[in-house]
Amino acid sequence: MIISQDTMDLGFVRKVEALSGTSVRSCFQCGKCSAGCPMATFMEHPPNRVVRLLQLGQWQRILAGRSIWFCASCETCSTRCPNKVHLASIMDALRKLSWDAEGPSKESYVQLANKLFLQNIRSYGRQYEMRLAAVFNVKSGQFLKDLMLGPKLLAKGKLKMFHHKNKNMTEIEKIFSRIEEMRKKGEAL
Amino acid sequence: MTTENTSLKYSYYPGCSLHASAGEYDLSTRELFSVLNIRLTEIPDWFCCGATPAHNVDELLSLSLCAKNLELAEQVEGDVAVACAACFSRLKTTQHVLAESPVKRKQVEKAIDAPLHLESNVKHLLDILARDFGLERLAASVKKPLSGLKVACYYGCLLTRPTDVPNLDCVEAPTIMEDVLKAVGAETVTWTHRLECCGANFTLSRPGVVIQLSNAILDSAKAAGADCIMVGCPLCHGNLDIRQKEIEGVYSTDYGLPVFYLTQLVGMACGISAEKLGLGALIVNPMPLLREKQLL
Repeated sequence: MIISQDTMDLGFVRKVEALSGTSVRSCFQCGKCSAGCPMATFMEHPPNRVVRLLQLGQWQRILAGRSIWFCASCETCSTRCPNKVHLASIMDALRKLSWDAEGPSKESYVQLANKLFLQNIRSYGRQYEMRLAAVFNVKSGQFLKDLMLGPKLLAKGKLKMFHHKNKNMTEIEKIFSRIEEMRKKGEAL
Repeated sequence: MTTENTSLKYSYYPGCSLHASAGEYDLSTRELFSVLNIRLTEIPDWFCCGATPAHNVDELLSLSLCAKNLELAEQVEGDVAVACAACFSRLKTTQHVLAESPVKRKQVEKAIDAPLHLESNVKHLLDILARDFGLERLAASVKKPLSGLKVACYYGCLLTRPTDVPNLDCVEAPTIMEDVLKAVGAETVTWTHRLECCGANFTLSRPGVVIQLSNAILDSAKAAGADCIMVGCPLCHGNLDIRQKEIEGVYSTDYGLPVFYLTQLVGMACGISAEKLGLGALIVNPMPLLREKQLL
């Protein structure tokens, strides 16, 4: 895909700006974000290029890659930007839009981990770490991942086999369902 | 002393990890605060703040989960005391974002169907020890100074960043951890990686990332001559302590750096026993180091 007028979509960029509460147009490409980014080495588009692609309306290129899923949310970019572009929030917005679109992405493990984490809140209230790790391994097909750590953690009391649900699960569930409802009615992005 | 301290009361938000993989952080926090006569009352029915996965893909959900927890915290008198750096960051971010955006405030109010409590003071344990309790009183509470122990203070990402949100200390050159440790008699080392990311929650999805980033942190602490590392976050702890052996294997090296929670080191200085501080739960065994330094 080449960068061209035909692939330019500024409507999408406006959505990113609304969700993130920050302006991509304020970026003058100094590159400080990428210089300090601990994850840039894992990305095909380092943070400053993600913003440049947004400025040019080329969002498909971003969502098709894995860069946004390899952002660790360490907030270094937002802290150091001389123009107060909140890049960490832009990354959040891009992930949300990619997540909603269930579009193509080269990264599925991070998305699976996020999904299971959120399901855990909805089912138990508090994180059930043991279940999170076990279900992740099964669903990602990596049955042996971190297998050696398991017994060590159990012996140290760091993995709890049993987990109690919160007493206020109905209230927690309502937060999830109200948000779903608001989105259905178009009251929230 | 007792009457002086009775004013310090907090509603305590431990966070999910402290009830599982970071049980020793919870244990040592409760012990230390009880010795210092600071009252912690756990927030009834608190639940997960959503951590990184929630804001990663759904900001509205993340803000709502945190706003609801802040509402629950109102049931207990006092500022909100948070142990985990990630929970601390999410609660502070929620207050910051909702104070700035009327649109998001309206949406969150609707999602939780309750009034927002944006004015409650959310404080990390470090803030409480260094400022509310105070460094002088902390120094006066020391029974066994951590003399000769060289510590690398590891802040990680979320205790200080981004600008204007956690407001715990300077974003690029914080000193609050060093201040606390110096007050209890330890030495702190100057090193390069105290604010670098450990790989955080990639520990579940992409452990290779954690191995690489955490190796750089351990390497830097060792090169600076540290005997051990101190953290204030269960996720940083998991990556640096639980995965240390694996990292040593991958990079064919030997760090042997015990990783303590801040409440464990301060607790030791205040004369609390190793057992009560949960030192036995640490994966990298700290006992040889503590015996060598005559701190046990």
